[in-house]
Amino acid sequence: MMRRIGTFPIVVIVLVAVYAAAKWGIPAFSRQVTGLPFPLPVPGTLMLFYMTLAVIALFLMVTFSEEGLTDFLRPIRKLLSGGYGQIARGLVLLAVPAIAAWQVYELTVPRAQVPASLRIQHPSSNFPVSSEGLHNPFDEPPEDEINVFIEQARANEVIFDPQVQDDIDAWADEWDPDHILEFLAAAPVKEFLTQLENDEVSHDIAEAAYREKILFEGRALYAMNCRACHGDSVAGDGPMADGFKLRPINFTDNGTIETIVVGYTFWRVENGGPGLPTEATPWDSAMPEWKLSLTEEQRWKIIQAEYDLAEKTPRIPEGHE
Amino acid sequence: MMQMIDTLKTGILATVTALAMTATVMASPVPSAPMPEATEEFVEAGRGIYLRRCSFCHGLLGDGEGSAAKYLDPRPRDFTLGTFKFRTTHSGELPTDEDLFRTVSRGLVGTAMQSFDRDLIKNGLSEEERWQVISYIKTFAYEFEDPELDPVATGKVISLPSNPAPYDAETIARGAKVFEKAQCWSCHGKLGRGDGNKEFREDDWGFPIRIRNVTHPWKIKAGDKVEDIYMRFTSGISGTPMPSFVKTLKEDERWDLANYIKSLQHQLTSHQTLKARLVEGDLPEDPTDPIWNDAEPMDVRLAGQVVGAPRWQNPSIEMVTIQAVFNETDIAFRITWDDPFKDVVHDQTQEFNPAELTQVGGFNSYVEAIDMIPRDLETFRDSIALQFPVKSPSGTKKPHFFRGSSSGQVYLMVWKADQAEVGERGTEEGNARGWKQAIKPQPEDAQQVLGGAVWDQGRWTVVMKRPLQTGGRGDVQFEPGVFIPMALNAWDGSNGEHGLIMSLSTWYFVFLEAPTPNKIYIYAVLAFLITGGLGLWLTKKTINAKRDENAGV
Repeated sequence: MMRRIGTFPIVVIVLVAVYAAAKWGIPAFSRQVTGLPFPLPVPGTLMLFYMTLAVIALFLMVTFSEEGLTDFLRPIRKLLSGGYGQIARGLVLLAVPAIAAWQVYELTVPRAQVPASLRIQHPSSNFPVSSEGLHNPFDEPPEDEINVFIEQARANEVIFDPQVQDDIDAWADEWDPDHILEFLAAAPVKEFLTQLENDEVSHDIAEAAYREKILFEGRALYAMNCRACHGDSVAGDGPMADGFKLRPINFTDNGTIETIVVGYTFWRVENGGPGLPTEATPWDSAMPEWKLSLTEEQRWKIIQAEYDLAEKTPRIPEGHE
Repeated sequence: MMQMIDTLKTGILATVTALAMTATVMASPVPSAPMPEATEEFVEAGRGIYLRRCSFCHGLLGDGEGSAAKYLDPRPRDFTLGTFKFRTTHSGELPTDEDLFRTVSRGLVGTAMQSFDRDLIKNGLSEEERWQVISYIKTFAYEFEDPELDPVATGKVISLPSNPAPYDAETIARGAKVFEKAQCWSCHGKLGRGDGNKEFREDDWGFPIRIRNVTHPWKIKAGDKVEDIYMRFTSGISGTPMPSFVKTLKEDERWDLANYIKSLQHQLTSHQTLKARLVEGDLPEDPTDPIWNDAEPMDVRLAGQVVGAPRWQNPSIEMVTIQAVFNETDIAFRITWDDPFKDVVHDQTQEFNPAELTQVGGFNSYVEAIDMIPRDLETFRDSIALQFPVKSPSGTKKPHFFRGSSSGQVYLMVWKADQAEVGERGTEEGNARGWKQAIKPQPEDAQQVLGGAVWDQGRWTVVMKRPLQTGGRGDVQFEPGVFIPMALNAWDGSNGEHGLIMSLSTWYFVFLEAPTPNKIYIYAVLAFLITGGLGLWLTKKTINAKRDENAGV
């Protein structure tokens, strides 16, 4: 029953099989391997590689011996000499040029393709070197600032950013607390208040409590100014995020705020989209120039809270004093 | 040996199953176990989380009056009331613990409440932390302490149908009949666009609410799946005019209705280039002309204008659909968007003076959701604008998407509903160089946009038509085969929008299909002739060879 398959059909079958494997087999297999809900596509150049290799291998096979070549050419010769009939020959002689013409048309016809827009995410061409070494003044607050805070706390007259004052006042009216800082449900603040009561304030605990106060203000300012786009957990998922083609940055992603120095974050917040150089496509960025609306102090507080919420730390500047 | 392989097989199978199970358990809005006992430490831990993650909107007192609350619509929940919108319990009842867990885990779509699930966002809350913060939230309302109000103990929980009907054409058609019978349209509109009722504009506490446009899934707060929709009209939405239909509709009717509502949801297009279609003859100014049926639509998402003060984060128009056709001389755009109210008057005296918001640090630069601007009917007009760069961009360089900049001038076609309504010119051409100055209208003799507009069943359809080439120095010149950047501005008058209080899109493109150049056809014909000639030559050669062979024998 077994009939020998000619060389020509084998060549055709192998070429079709290699093409099918690269085009559909690999993507289907990749889904099994990766478990991802989408296939890994085979790039066009890789397709070309596979097909070229297959053709070379088949060419070697066919031309290995004179008989092989003769065997391969036999059906072609038979067709061209009319061995399969006039109609078959005519059809092939028309179909092959038609396919060639179609391919040429496909290759040359102009297609509507969106102009590629490459965008540098962290451009540095106009980033002022002086900002590289900036520190967040609230990251390591100076001695006298903490002392002022301790004095304010002692007198129970801690001053907050005016934008968060209303909420704290409402809370105080309701609970009539012994100390205004009691609303800050964080361990260092509780400890600080106990120390205040016993009149034995440790500088370190006072600093930790002060940082909690700054973080509270920073988070509130973030919620008021940045949340609509960047989301309430700094995850780039605010209610308006889908309205921008250039999505608001997700600060919990690796490779965002932890790969840049804090001075860079400050510079981006300060100057927004319009402050970006051309290579970072400033015309697509909705990031506002926050220096027009927020004070420097407010901006640093927001940045302090942003790193804290994202559970990230900024990159340490290199060799800047 | 066989045994070893079997063991190995079982092991692999078990691992794969376990992995698959973790994958399904991950990011689930359903907790793996009921809420742990709310000990003092447990609640105190919740208080710490609440302060860090929730208090800025919901307030230190849990009364929904946090620092950011006044800028938000919808308002953050006031936990002291014990009233919750999204429940699986009967109308007027408290939510179950699992209801609160679901809301904290996946957030409320389209609102300031995002997901807090650690499996969805890297800095989210673990299951235990979510339970802790819920235990603290429950301390705000005394109702949660009353065992007689416990919806689980008193059997007020609604379960999903045990054998729900499939989502298919038949159940959807049945659901459409339920939509009629239950008169859903009397509020939600015949086509579900939220345009059926002009009265329900406030909730029980006087805060602005909108009748849901059920065709926009990105605004269906508690989920756009069939089971979510089913739960909404089964439980009702507390504090709003949305009732429970548990008594008036049977269970299977409610499920059919949910299927029907699901079928109304709009599928967004994903392309970013609007292809303008070349047509024969005159271009239509009529928005209902059949020529538009064949023009490819492109959906454009919009966001509130937050680039400059006054900032606005409660936009009404979040999607606009746009089409374009052109002929040898003109181009026409058709712009379609949903707006439940037709606002065709404009009272300039009510406009907002942004001066107070431009002071650094002193005030928040956002416009508050209520009180600062009137969000009433018959106050401000509806309006839409198409924006293009005046100069075709060189390389990728463009003017800023928000009204350009001093070095990159933009051209706008601004349609105003109030002017169109009284028969004046609807669309005005203007120019801008940045957002700090208003759009400067072009002189009277340079105005050449024609068009028409229709408002029907909660939807505006506006046509703007203009010559391709105008020669005007402030105008964009449309040319086939060129990608022209295009952006949108939109205003919903009854949402208080005017001036910079608006929604806007970033840059998209419009592309006028260029006719295929003749040389392309010549290349194809040449390819045909060369290959064909080669084929004939080979044939001839083969026949000759065969004849020689035969002759040789």
